[in-house]
Amino acid sequence: MSKPTRLRIAGGTVYDPANGADGVVRDVCIEGDRIVAELPASAPRLDARGMVVMPGGVDIHAHVAGSSVNHARRLLPEEHAAEPMPAPRLEDGAVARSGTGGTLPSTFTTGYRYAGLGYTTAMEAAVAPIAARHAHAELDDTPIIDAGFFVLLGNDDYLLRQLAAGEGARARDYAAWLLGTTRAYAIKIVNPGGVAVWKRGGDRRNVSGLDDALGSSAVTPRKILETLAGAANALALPHPVHIHCNNLGQPGNAATTLESMKALSGQRAHFTHLQFHSYGGAPGKGWASAARDVIAYVNAHAEVSVDVGQVMFGAATTVTADSPLEHLLYASSGRKWVNVDIELESGCGIVPYAYKEKAAVAALQWAVGLELFLLATDPWRVVLSTDHPNGGTFLSYPELIRLLMDRAYRDERLKGVNQKLLAGSALLDGLAREYTLGEIAIVTRAGPARLLGLKGKGHLAPGADADVTIYADVADRAKMFAAPRYVIKAGTLVVEEGQLRRAPTGRRLAVRPEYDAAVTKDLKRFFDEYASVAFENYGAEPVA
Amino acid sequence: MTDRIVANVTCLGCGCACDDITVVVTEDRIADARNACALGTAWFGDGTVPAETRVNGRSASLEQALTEAARLLSGANRPLVYLAGDVSCETQREGVAIADRLHAAIDSLAATAAAAVLAAQRRGRAGATLGEIRQQADLVVFWGVDPSARYPRYASRYAVEPPGVATAQGRASRTLIAVDVGDSRGPAEADRRVAIAPADEVDGLGMMRAAVQGRAVDDEERFRSVVELARRMTGARYVAIVADSEPGLIPADPARAEALVTLAQALNGPTRCALSTLRGGGNRSGADAVLTWQTGFPFAVDFARGYPSYQPQAGAAALLDGGEVDAALVIGTPASLPEPVAAGLSRVRSVVIGPRASAATFQPAVAVDTGEAGIHEGGTAFRMDDVPLPLRPSLEGGVRAAFVTVRTLRERMGARA
Repeated sequence: MSKPTRLRIAGGTVYDPANGADGVVRDVCIEGDRIVAELPASAPRLDARGMVVMPGGVDIHAHVAGSSVNHARRLLPEEHAAEPMPAPRLEDGAVARSGTGGTLPSTFTTGYRYAGLGYTTAMEAAVAPIAARHAHAELDDTPIIDAGFFVLLGNDDYLLRQLAAGEGARARDYAAWLLGTTRAYAIKIVNPGGVAVWKRGGDRRNVSGLDDALGSSAVTPRKILETLAGAANALALPHPVHIHCNNLGQPGNAATTLESMKALSGQRAHFTHLQFHSYGGAPGKGWASAARDVIAYVNAHAEVSVDVGQVMFGAATTVTADSPLEHLLYASSGRKWVNVDIELESGCGIVPYAYKEKAAVAALQWAVGLELFLLATDPWRVVLSTDHPNGGTFLSYPELIRLLMDRAYRDERLKGVNQKLLAGSALLDGLAREYTLGEIAIVTRAGPARLLGLKGKGHLAPGADADVTIYADVADRAKMFAAPRYVIKAGTLVVEEGQLRRAPTGRRLAVRPEYDAAVTKDLKRFFDEYASVAFENYGAEPVA
Repeated sequence: MTDRIVANVTCLGCGCACDDITVVVTEDRIADARNACALGTAWFGDGTVPAETRVNGRSASLEQALTEAARLLSGANRPLVYLAGDVSCETQREGVAIADRLHAAIDSLAATAAAAVLAAQRRGRAGATLGEIRQQADLVVFWGVDPSARYPRYASRYAVEPPGVATAQGRASRTLIAVDVGDSRGPAEADRRVAIAPADEVDGLGMMRAAVQGRAVDDEERFRSVVELARRMTGARYVAIVADSEPGLIPADPARAEALVTLAQALNGPTRCALSTLRGGGNRSGADAVLTWQTGFPFAVDFARGYPSYQPQAGAAALLDGGEVDAALVIGTPASLPEPVAAGLSRVRSVVIGPRASAATFQPAVAVDTGEAGIHEGGTAFRMDDVPLPLRPSLEGGVRAAFVTVRTLRERMGARA
């Protein structure tokens, strides 16, 4: 079939939760790169009878492009050597690009894999502003998907100075300027204040809670969260501030997580990879699940959204701006370790990892993630993620979907894991819930699209982007979601009969909020005093 | 073109990639490159480059040259693509696309730092961007290198002199220590000097690591001064260890590179430490980054099997030396090529597209002169610490652009970007 300017997806069972379709047999019509209400009867048809039709998947949080991801790729030649990816042959005989897989695939392979999974949009979750130009270059080489990134704020020296000086308005202008100049999509906070403390050296290695002061008593993780959440909301950004809380991965960190949520009570905020922040117990005294407490708060507060950051058994790579955390992982695992302190801004830490069923903490993490999913009452605010590749790669999403949809399978898997730390977890007590296809459509596309403020994504009403995924309706949901029969991106049929056939270029998703330009004069002074790159060369704008 | 002044220009004369150069253009020539060091001044030159197009030594049209280049490369059994100096990341991306399509081997100038790259692949790294060393480091240890020779502004812009947020007095906020490894000496202006014999270096680094980790160390005279240095490092707030990863007096030694990495990592137990590995210019770090994101490997990649495989022991020089290669595409300045690569290229049919291609000493079959990234054309380049910087051409439009030329060749060969 040649590239369709018009296509009627005929007779499929449509899951379009944003428009109330929960398994309705109807046609979906595409003209150009949009969904349309109707097409003439003569328009080309794709017979989707007996198949499941959903909007294209939307990944709200993954590490797929940019400086830290590339450091991780460089660290793992053995993974790449183990998974060569010959170039797919496309429909017109054209040869696409080869690459390598592993937990951090090469850029072209990343794009092809997302498309092969029925995902048509992805957000790179952590880009240091100074490396924004690099992230854009990688996204340019990541085909098919529409993509954007979240820019790291909250450990940056300029922001902390504004907080110390009580310059809230300037902090907001700075955030707006930074989003525009780096062509980012949203504000990301990672371990607010903790990375700055780690970089400073001396006796302190990290912050431990929301009210640890950084130098000035006016600068605390709480203040950083309040300022940036306030900025994102005041700027009316499409996605609220995207928060990786303090104390990731530490026993007892649920208290910090809940305190962070309460600190922003009443304000929109997205708390990412919640699984890694939902542990009871205490440092040095053991671990337990605190998923019940954390999800209860989320359930009761409509302003809060989360993605789960599920841990999946198998190979992973931890890659994060939370560099003090990675030092702990290095010290405890003895594996190879990358740390890069990023000037005036942020950090980067990487440790390869593997989650094993027989390891007590890994099994607890797996269980906590499932508890969060299964105890959540509003799927629109609880997004499916693995914090790719931290909890597992995005290729494990189909297996995760099966765990959510198939209780018998889940219970069987539960029997095989180390249950030492699972006492008191809701999962061990027995959770009967099985996600429906409609709920899966929410947590993998409609929900994240809405939370990202992507009006054309995650639904199939006329005017929406023509990003559509069509699955064979098979009982094994892992198989079903791993290999969609057809994937349409912006009206182009990219996957046909399960094969990648076309690899068009995706669009970049970015915001450009307004700000008081007076901030740039102050920034220029700051750059002249401290930065190692010229103010004029910073960011990712084309230069004249 | 009119006379003009272009500010905030990035220099690719060495890996420092100083982006504070002001280029003064008078009568279409670079009259001055303000702030540039001697290396930078030489790199900018007056901006004149040859503009020849040659096939088999004779002048030809671009059309003829690209047709012959495509014929020669497509007909090869074992083609090699080499990313040489002074091209942008955008041009390098086109080069990798050609190599992928041709099922060629591809290597780059980044391979000159192979020992350090391989050590980082085995152990990881404890690093920092150069600007963070400036902000934080109160103890800077130059390990067998004086940066003033090959990285002239490293000290004034990054690790020694400028004040940072936690080093408000600049030079006065830091202690400088020179470790002289045989004849590879640290900077003359160091506050203290420590000497170690080249034969003892790797063991000495291991001994230092043991001291940092609180393990027992030999009480041998030859290690005493470095062990004392290790204790001093442990007491600092933030240590920077600066070492050269480009070939020099000390032969590249994998064990040495690895010992430096693991010492820097170990120092992050008791204190903070970053290892700054010095790398050369010409945007070789960009080649490393591009190849890594497109293939998963930083240099010495082989597409022969239809996918990237990593052959760090069989890079360009080894393939040429072994007589395997029957055609080569060099993208960049041929004068930047390591000597063994240049020597090997004299034995095969080659295509060179880049600045001063026509001056290549190995008599390429096709030579297409282009402008130089950062002087005649824009794009992106990477500093030695992987910080991306924009290039600001001061003489754009005067000569053929490397990016457009390589892209045209890529399209002609049916390769996808």
